[in-house]
Parts: sequence; C-alpha cells; structure tokens
Amino acid sequence: MTDKSLRFLVVDDFATMRRIVRNLLQDLGYKNIEEAEDGQDALNKLRASEFDFVVSDWNMPNIDGLELLKTIRLDPAMAKMPVLMVTAEAKRENIIAAAQAGANGYIVKPFTAATLEEKLGKIFEKLG
Amino acid sequence: MSMASDNTKDLFLRIGQLTRLLRNSMANLGLEQAIMEVADAFPNTRDRLNYVVGKTSQAADRALTSVEVARPLQDTLSENATQLSARWDAWFANPQPLDDARELVKATRGYLQQVPELTQLTNRQLTEIMMAQDFQDLTGQVLQSLMHVIETVEKELINVLVENMGEREAVAPPEMENLKNGPQIDAMAEGIATSQDQVDDLLESLGF
Repeated sequence: MTDKSLRFLVVDDFATMRRIVRNLLQDLGYKNIEEAEDGQDALNKLRASEFDFVVSDWNMPNIDGLELLKTIRLDPAMAKMPVLMVTAEAKRENIIAAAQAGANGYIVKPFTAATLEEKLGKIFEKLG
Repeated sequence: MSMASDNTKDLFLRIGQLTRLLRNSMANLGLEQAIMEVADAFPNTRDRLNYVVGKTSQAADRALTSVEVARPLQDTLSENATQLSARWDAWFANPQPLDDARELVKATRGYLQQVPELTQLTNRQLTEIMMAQDFQDLTGQVLQSLMHVIETVEKELINVLVENMGEREAVAPPEMENLKNGPQIDAMAEGIATSQDQVDDLLESLGF
C-alpha cells in the first residue's frame, strides 16, 4: 500500500487534462495534488515547496516536459523525484528520449484509469 | 529634409511599382481568383476552428464539473451505508435493549429516505454529462464543412502551382527529427507506438 498523503504535481498546459489526471489520482486515494500549467510553472512550484511525484505532459509552452525532466534530474535537491510522462507523443524517438532522460514511466494519451494506476504501482514497486 | 522626402517618395514609388507587378503577374497566372477565395475562406475558417475549440473545451468542462458534483454524493451514500451496516453488525453480535435498537432503526429509516434523493441528484449529473456530448454533433458538422473548404482550396492552389511550376525539379522536404508532434492522427505511420502495450514493450526492450 502506498502512502496516500504523497504530494503530486500534475503538469499540463490543458486545464481539462490536469483536471482529469487530478480526478483519477483522487480516485486512487491521493489527496495532495497540485497543478502547474507548464514546465516553468512546475519548476517554480517544485522549488517553492515539497513534492513527492511529478506527472507531466510533454508538449507545453515555455519549458516542455522533456526539458522539465532533465532539469529535475540535474538539480540535486530533486534529482530523485519520480517523474511519470503522460503525453500524446507516441514516436519511438520520444519514448527513447524520455527513458534516457530518466523518466520513471511513459503513458501515451488517450489513456485509461487502469493504465495510470498500473504505471504508478510499477513505479512505487521499483522505488521500494 | 529634401533628401529624406526624396528618399521616401522613391520608396513609395517602388512599392507602388512592385504592387502593380505582383498584381499583374497574379492576374496572368490566374492566381487572383484563387487568392481571393482563399482570403475569403480563411478568416471564416479561423472562426469555425475557434468555435470547435470553444465547444470541446466547454463540453469537457461541463462533464468534469458534473463528475465533481456527483462524486461526493456517491461517497456520502457509501459512507452512511457502511456506518449503518457496522452499527447493525454490532447490534446483532450483542443485542441491546429496545432503546438502542430504536435509535438504529430511526437512523436506518433516515438513510433509506435519503437514498432516492441522492440518487436523483446523481442522475441529474449523469444526464448533464450525456447532454455535454452534444458538442460532437455540432463540431462534427463544422469540421466536415471545413474539410470541404480545405479540399477545394487545396485542389485549386495545387492546380495553379502545378501549371506554373515550370521545369524545376521537385525537392524532397528535409527530414525533421521533431519530438513535438502532438497526437498521432495516422496510427499506421512508421515508428509510432499505437498503444500503451507497444510503449511498454519498447521500454522493456531498452531495459527500462
């Protein structure tokens, strides 16, 4: 059983998608969910307060999801933060690039609640 | 002063000549008509696409709001039932005097009365979610008529271009290694993961 008080940051430039991910996470029992509308907003929030998990889109203005992921991995304060990519980008190059940049999981849109649950479970399992 | 105004005059003269040249060559090429049609169609197209964006976002918002309203109602029903059930279990395990039982019966009656009220409210939200799907019909029609416009414009412009292309050899467009493509419209395209399973397989093959 994972800790339901984990703090999530959901990053997506579309409010609708943020809302859907937030609702799905709430469905899974997670209560602490914040939102950011792009990579820059996410970095500001990640640096301003504590988070345990990032769920991020790829294609966003200002700082995109891959850039965000790379920045997180380079920052000693949050290098170990699990990052789950949830994106419509479905090219092999994208998936490989995300994996090489250190993504903990990769979900292609459109996705189901079951997929999100499974990927989260896998990530927690690997983290121990 | 006179230098500057001479220069300006000269500039306007040249712009005038260029404009005339452009107009004449467009007329010669038969482009004028096509350009006029395109110019006419595009502001309209932008409006229509804006309409689609607006409608879809409105619908998503409506549905999500309903979900957010209905969820707590379901939670209330479930929590109250669980509580009552636990109280009944406790009572049956160890039957108490009549007064206690009366409290429990009263609470149960209250709950039963509450169920239709709450389910009705939930049902109203379900109807709202259903109605929010009406955007599909509206945006579908707008998009279909747009596709028609695009088809026409494409056909005419390509015709004009082909007629006036001359002997120049076709150059293949440069291959772009772009990582921001948005949703894949063509599921059969090369190098695309069309399902989560394929994504998982790829990652696994890479040792992730």
